[in-house]
Amino acid sequence: MRAARVVITARTMKWARAAAVKLTGFATSVIACKCEAAIERELTPDETPDARPGVSALMFTMDTDSLGKRLTERIGQTVLTCPTASCFDGLPDVPDRLPAARALRTFGDRFQISKVVNGDRYWRVPVMEGECLLQESFGMQKKGVGGGNFLILAEDIDSGLDAAEAAVAAIDGMPGVILPFPGGVVRSGSKLGARGYKRMIASTNDAYCPTLRPLTTSALPDGVNTVLEIVLDGLSPDAISAAMRVGIDAACRSGIRAISAGNYGGKLGPHHFHLRQILGAPA
Amino acid sequence: MSEAVVLTLRAPLDAALDMTGITPDRCAPLSRAEIAALPVWVGRERAVLGDVFDVRGERAARVEIEGDLSKACGVGARMTSGLLHVRGNVGDDAGQAMSGGVLRVDGHAGDRLGGPSPGASKGMTGGEVVVFGSTGASPAALVRRGLVAVAGGAGAYAGRGMIAGTLLALGPLGELPGAGNKRGSIIAAGGVPVPASYRWACSYEPPHVRLLLTSLRRRFGFPCDPALLNGRFDRYCGDAGEPGKGEILVWTGHERRRE
Repeated sequence: MRAARVVITARTMKWARAAAVKLTGFATSVIACKCEAAIERELTPDETPDARPGVSALMFTMDTDSLGKRLTERIGQTVLTCPTASCFDGLPDVPDRLPAARALRTFGDRFQISKVVNGDRYWRVPVMEGECLLQESFGMQKKGVGGGNFLILAEDIDSGLDAAEAAVAAIDGMPGVILPFPGGVVRSGSKLGARGYKRMIASTNDAYCPTLRPLTTSALPDGVNTVLEIVLDGLSPDAISAAMRVGIDAACRSGIRAISAGNYGGKLGPHHFHLRQILGAPA
Repeated sequence: MSEAVVLTLRAPLDAALDMTGITPDRCAPLSRAEIAALPVWVGRERAVLGDVFDVRGERAARVEIEGDLSKACGVGARMTSGLLHVRGNVGDDAGQAMSGGVLRVDGHAGDRLGGPSPGASKGMTGGEVVVFGSTGASPAALVRRGLVAVAGGAGAYAGRGMIAGTLLALGPLGELPGAGNKRGSIIAAGGVPVPASYRWACSYEPPHVRLLLTSLRRRFGFPCDPALLNGRFDRYCGDAGEPGKGEILVWTGHERRRE
């Protein structure tokens, strides 16, 4: 997948987070949202280009064109509109560049001003609040990895949620990884295609649906009554592996019968994450 | 290939030295002997660089000059890339017609910093000039693109006829700054007599100034007071006789409310 890192800063962390939450809203799956995005972590003033509090977010799409378009749309509707927020590229060393914010300069109706700082172009767009500062181009990581996952097979929803929340908390803030689904957790894991509807790209993963145990070829061991999935997108396979290791370790607690993963017959992509390998156990 | 080419002044200059064309991009492909053979003018006499400087290193896009070059003109003139770091003062016309790279001066600079070649319609067209001392008259004249940053003050006619680009001065600016300014930005943190041909727009916290100051502080150790970083600026638009898209940003000294 194609990936970009967007760094949003603002006068306070509250406003930086407000912009980042909107930037990454409705971005759980490329299937229907056109991109997958989430907050990666909060940044201290020492870590941001303008020494203000900030938030870094990662965005993933299936192709280059789409990544540029999503960045333009989302930065334009969320960062440009958010009081005191500025927007910077978080992958400055990546050679492939997308001039995603270039189109947004025209909001300034020819009153916009270009500035080059340390070789990078920025746009000062006049807005009612004052000025919005946007970096023009964003680095594009061509070998981002989407759809890393593991399944938490639990005795009941309470233990399933406890384990999933623990896994999310453990992964939260790890560099180069995001969990794009609500709270980092998916309850509706899918399989490719559908049994009964030809046009469906994805449909419910019936093998792991506890209510369908007697009606389908179930993959659920005895005693499992709920399954939750952690889906990870990362800038590299290593980032995904590291996060899965930490997340699985945190999820292994009382009430969890098994940890598994969906591999979709190996059709989801070129990267395979073998759980035993990741955890350092013999295959 | 060395990490840097180091030029050490052999003796204090007693005549004007023209350093035009002694740039990192020019030194980058040259051996030590070739660098020492580069032509310069000392007063009315032709000389070579090795006559004036002890040359160490070769084939590097980073050039360091040690010594007081107050009598040297054209230091960093026509630079296109690389870093030229002067550990001392420089004379007039430093960074003249630069188009890229970084000229760093740890001391003071003379007149016409970052200006145009004689008779040219544009001054700097790119790159950065960072001066840790003060500069003379007419810095950043006719600048088309790029940055001139001065930790001290500047003389009269700062930013004369700026086409675009940025002039930052932490010290006071002299008379008639920004005369004929088209789209350039003059950031004045140490006081400035704003000409009557500029009109006040607002008092605000310009995000690009914060970005610029942070970048300069982190890369060069440029002396930026937190009060400046968090401060408010008055924005004046001008120059009235031109398109009026230029600006003078004057630091008001009011720091933002702490959260």
